[in-house]
Amino acid sequence: MSLADASHNPRAAAALAVAAVLAGTSLDDALPQASAGLAAADRALAQAIAYGVLRNRRLLEWLAARLLERPLKNEPRLQALLLGGLHQLRAMGVPDHAAVAETVAAAAALGKPWAKGLLNAVLRRYLRERSTLEAALPPDPALRLSYPDWLVARVREDWPSNWEAVLAAGNEPGPLTLRVNRRQTTREAYRDELAAAGIAAEPLAHAPDALRLHEPQPVASLPGWSAGRVSVQDAAAQLAAELLDAHPGHRVLDACSAPGGKTAHLLERTEALQLLALDRDAARLARVAENLHRLKLQAALRVADAAQPASWWDGVPFDRILLDAPCSGTGVIRRHPDIKWLRREADLAQAARTQGRLLKALWPLLAPGGVLLYATCSILRAEGEAVARAFRASQADAEELRIETPWGEAREIGRRLAPGGAYDGFYYARFIKKP
Amino acid sequence: MAVLPILHHPDPRLRHKTPPVTQFDETLQKLIDDLFETMYAAPGVGLAANQCGVPLRLAVMDCSETHDQPIVMINPEILERSERHIVEEGCLSVPEARDKIPRYHRVRLRALDRHGKPYELDAEGLLAQCIQHELDHLDGKLYIDYLSSLKRERIRKLLSRRKSASGG
Repeated sequence: MSLADASHNPRAAAALAVAAVLAGTSLDDALPQASAGLAAADRALAQAIAYGVLRNRRLLEWLAARLLERPLKNEPRLQALLLGGLHQLRAMGVPDHAAVAETVAAAAALGKPWAKGLLNAVLRRYLRERSTLEAALPPDPALRLSYPDWLVARVREDWPSNWEAVLAAGNEPGPLTLRVNRRQTTREAYRDELAAAGIAAEPLAHAPDALRLHEPQPVASLPGWSAGRVSVQDAAAQLAAELLDAHPGHRVLDACSAPGGKTAHLLERTEALQLLALDRDAARLARVAENLHRLKLQAALRVADAAQPASWWDGVPFDRILLDAPCSGTGVIRRHPDIKWLRREADLAQAARTQGRLLKALWPLLAPGGVLLYATCSILRAEGEAVARAFRASQADAEELRIETPWGEAREIGRRLAPGGAYDGFYYARFIKKP
Repeated sequence: MAVLPILHHPDPRLRHKTPPVTQFDETLQKLIDDLFETMYAAPGVGLAANQCGVPLRLAVMDCSETHDQPIVMINPEILERSERHIVEEGCLSVPEARDKIPRYHRVRLRALDRHGKPYELDAEGLLAQCIQHELDHLDGKLYIDYLSSLKRERIRKLLSRRKSASGG
């Protein structure tokens, strides 16, 4: 049975999506469902509101708490609608009267017409008192930048000199970056194609297949999209294929491949790879198959747990292994603001254990002289550097193959990228097996 | 866990009466988890297994906004009913339509939980409405069956237009 009808109201849809996220659903699942009935322009508005509320949640909640005479108990959707209204007034350039009137009207679409008066009063009170309220915001960066305390503490510890910039970068939307399919065209030729379609893009220095668009576009409208000439992939993720440097004929394992961006890039970059792509989740592996199909690429795909090679490995060693390991995703918060609220500190230890287990299980599958690249889209040492260090210490035949590049920051082991600008936050470490 | 695709009216699979659940194994537990995830993502307050193409007498529900009152009902039956009243209703398999229909205000439910243990539940209001709605699904019925044929036809046309507009 469905809920009250939010399907035609972008503000109500955003409130449903935000409330679903705060109850534990991922934004990627919640938002498309909540906004399925909306026209394209309304869908974009619902998305902007939902992302904005999740990016600024603590700050907006602080404001709401000061504006409400009594807290909205057991009304998460109404609370989310109110936060959305405040966000529109603060940061979206929606005219004040429209933001108030439409947010009030959305209460009915949520099946809560009784709350109209309350919303109207609270939003108007914000308009009257905004300068006093904004001036009274506490200086606490966790509140101003809207992160959970535990995550602020971790980032502060791991990025002592620029932790506030790292947190702030997580609140800025990432650019839309494309990966040009080398098998079908070149970056220069595709850039010309984009220019002819009126889309401005610039090449990125450190990622040889990457074009950053000046303005986001609906991907299906990009020239050659369905023919497979181009994909969407952040520049930091595009560094993996360069670092792994597979050669034609190599046997390559992509251990946690879904949704398949790096898998496809490896195949585009090097001809005649014998690539095996695994993922534990059949539904997610199906997305890898879809992506490869669109790009006209081939690989062997298998639903399997990479940490249990006995169940899937044929005994022939690999020349290259990519372990794009499951992690908290704290490096991609700018694209997935729900991560701030869905992750728990205990998840970090769990991810680190899983990563350590994967490294240990996969290392024996590597041929002597072969290279393993360990990658995480996390900015936390616990699921990057610390795991890589423990692995090297435990594996006598694993030698670090230093990553000497102009991008990122060299660490005691591996290299990390702060999120911001063209790059998501990432960690890479590379190991070669001594002969 | 995975979000499953939800079938839309007029899919014939929504029109079959479902057979009872007999195996309370790991596959069933995973299905129940997936149904909850699908329902929460929708967002909805109830979802029957056959709405996701799985012909089993099983539905999940949660009428709380905080997603903390999950209910699994397997092989359900209604033991007692109160008077009926008119309520507004919508269905995840009939997107974008809503209408007023009669439902019992209170019902007593008997069903099995996810491990096959029987329980009884007195429900009223939204939860009672949801129980009746999901039980109808398991019998191959949709809430639009309670509407006039004129209204039903209008909804069917709306949905097939949308389907051809979205190209699939």
